Amino acid sequence: MPDHTTLIETRNLVKKYGDKLAVDDVSFDVHAGEVFGFLGPNGAGKTTTIKIIVGLLRPTSGTVKVAGCDVQAQPMLAKAASGYVPDTPNLYAKLTGRELLRFVGDLYNLDRPHAARRIDELLRILDLSAAADDTVDSYSHGMQQKASLAAALMHDPKVLVLDEPTVGLDPKSARLIKDILRQMAERGAAVFLSTHILEIAERMCDRIGIINQGKLVAVGTMTELRALGKSGEVSLEDIFLSLTGGAEEAEIAEILK
Amino acid sequence: MTMLAQPSPRLLPAIWKLTLLRLRITVNTFRHAKTGRKVLTIVGGLGLLAFAGFIFVLSWLLLGFLRSPGLQQYTGFDPAPFLQAVPVLILSGLFLGILLSSFGVLLQGLYLSRDMDFLLSSPVPVRAVFVTKMLQAVLPNFGLTALFGLPVLYGLGLAGHYNLLYYPLVILTMIVLTLAAAGISALLVMLVVRIFPARRVAEVLAFVGATLTIVCSQSGNLINLNHNAGPSNAQLGSLFALLTRLNTPWMPLNWAGRGLVDLGQGHWLSGVLLVILTLGFSALAFWFALATAERWYYTGWAGMQVVARRKKAARLAQVEERAAEKPAPGVLRLFPAPVRAIVRKDFLVLRRDLRNLSGLITPLIFGAIYTLTFLRGGEQIAAAGGEAPGWFMTAMTSLLAYGNVGMSLFVGWMLLGRLAGAGFSMEGKNYWLLKSAPLRPRTLLTAKFLVAYLPALALGWFFLVLISILQHISPLGFLYGLLAVAMCLAGMAGILLGFGVAGANFNWEDPRRMNSGALGCLGAAITALFLPVSFGFFTGPLWAVTALHLPIAFGYLAGGFLGTAVCALGTFLPLGLASGRVEHLDEA
Repeated sequence: MPDHTTLIETRNLVKKYGDKLAVDDVSFDVHAGEVFGFLGPNGAGKTTTIKIIVGLLRPTSGTVKVAGCDVQAQPMLAKAASGYVPDTPNLYAKLTGRELLRFVGDLYNLDRPHAARRIDELLRILDLSAAADDTVDSYSHGMQQKASLAAALMHDPKVLVLDEPTVGLDPKSARLIKDILRQMAERGAAVFLSTHILEIAERMCDRIGIINQGKLVAVGTMTELRALGKSGEVSLEDIFLSLTGGAEEAEIAEILK
Repeated sequence: MTMLAQPSPRLLPAIWKLTLLRLRITVNTFRHAKTGRKVLTIVGGLGLLAFAGFIFVLSWLLLGFLRSPGLQQYTGFDPAPFLQAVPVLILSGLFLGILLSSFGVLLQGLYLSRDMDFLLSSPVPVRAVFVTKMLQAVLPNFGLTALFGLPVLYGLGLAGHYNLLYYPLVILTMIVLTLAAAGISALLVMLVVRIFPARRVAEVLAFVGATLTIVCSQSGNLINLNHNAGPSNAQLGSLFALLTRLNTPWMPLNWAGRGLVDLGQGHWLSGVLLVILTLGFSALAFWFALATAERWYYTGWAGMQVVARRKKAARLAQVEERAAEKPAPGVLRLFPAPVRAIVRKDFLVLRRDLRNLSGLITPLIFGAIYTLTFLRGGEQIAAAGGEAPGWFMTAMTSLLAYGNVGMSLFVGWMLLGRLAGAGFSMEGKNYWLLKSAPLRPRTLLTAKFLVAYLPALALGWFFLVLISILQHISPLGFLYGLLAVAMCLAGMAGILLGFGVAGANFNWEDPRRMNSGALGCLGAAITALFLPVSFGFFTGPLWAVTALHLPIAFGYLAGGFLGTAVCALGTFLPLGLASGRVEHLDEA
């Protein structure tokens, strides 16, 4: 269950690309032991927000704290506390899975025997042991996604940030990842994930944030979100469409059926 | 409302649609290009046309001149057999050139292009995809060959007053031969891909191609070192005789050229027969490629989708795994784990990806050729004497000796250009892994510096040892050389790495296409100046003390101090300036 230690704290986050406002005054908190779902239509600003949280992008204004450390002012401490799984698992193609994880272990200064145990453990859990000594370019998309998750989990981060973690995964792997994320949260980590699959968000997440055109339009538990929506909207899909202006598109989709 | 897509079962309409699509992409690319690029493309196209016109006029005049009875009377050389061999040479060259050059392009187009999933999942015949891809791959090569070959063949026809049938048949024969060569090349590609992974074949091909190109170009220079004179008249005569002898009717490759010449000269029977044979065999080869493509192409492509377990690769990886368990070698142990990890990772990636090696091979081949050159002529420098004063000869000898060290620095500079200049760019789309890790800019810069510096230092010192042995350099001179090479390379590595950070490009798919743009070029230009200047700080004082009859130890001390100071500045200043940028790399 979530406690009230805030592990991700964003305040008035703004990110501009030239004249385009990608993230517009976004503020939210994610607590320890919580799985936080971040939803939004394509181009709403999800990935930009995530990249700011993990220190890949500088915000135009506003602050982000990870495990109490300002990502811009104390990047080393913030990054040491977080793990990141990007939407596209770009990994060193010519390293083997094991070499990749050892490399990540060294980047995080893990001691060798501990790293070796952790690598074996992660490879086993993620069903990658058989392919551990194959180079990453021979991995399928799902295997690369799992290798990317293994890399993010190497240093047992307090904060795990995932951008569309279940895209392209088979049901078994998707379930495995969901289980791992839930366990992480139960052990006190904060899990922040963006997804397009509303069912995952509804079933997995303790709280959900919905972003549309760069603005955070809603944050809360499912019950709180239902209270925000129009009467009769009980599913997350209805709430999402009504908040992001997608109801009209849903009607068009009905006509096309 | 449901609409069912109509499949396109007919071959030609499907090929037409796919070709139009490619054409539209090309036109769109041109339309959306920057104005400068558009102008460059138009000027380049007009330039090529002008060049083709020039070749045409030149061939016409030259071949007409060769046919003139006056020349024949004056030189006693009958050019007719040679002139008849020209079309044979051009058309055989076209066929072999397309056959060889198409292999790599077809491999890329048929198996490694990104639109294959889309095309093969569409209701389009596999043969149509195959033919379109083949045309797309072969057309540029055909265009280039035609640009040079066609004007010569037309010039020959005009100079020889060939009949009108010759001209359209030249074009038809060229097209048919190109299709046959491309078909055979495609068959070879499909055969090879059934045995080896396409990506690996492409990597090996690029590596071998780059190596052969540089070896061929440089070995020519090496041979010319001792043979500066051009080919003699006798050599030219025997070359013409050889080319004439090769024009035998028993070689099928000659039939096209011989048939065209016979038709042009009005020898109808042999001409028609040879041209028909050429067209028939070419059509047969192309048809066979098409018929086989249906099955081989699809199975080959489908085979690529299967994740293969490569036992040998796995075993190799395990061996390297055990090596990685051991403590880091020598000097690397002084650095923190993240630095060692990045250095180890970069060396692994550079070694395993042959596409990287093809970029690194240039300085290594230059180095090898330079070694050979040096082994052949190096000792002459030390033995050189003359009637000049003793002090001057001593100074010149030391200058020449260190000049050779300078040449080895040049090879090191070339290696640094790739390793330091593209040190950050080589991370490509994987850079997020480093950027999201708790690494200070200093750690990243140190690691990238070592990745570039250590191999260049090894290469530089290798040459120094070789030169010192061959030129009997004194132990003190040798140690001084070690210092000079180490420091000059460090300075150049620092400058190149600094510019590499400023111009870092992470958005590439093929490592051969990564570059640091204008800033990378500027870095290379600055280090090209830095090399002689910094080396001059090491050697200048030696020369000065010799000229002033002072003890040489003073020269070593002064040169060592000045050179080290300049090189340290070259190392740390750019890295210090780049440090701030490293924090914000890849934040577009």
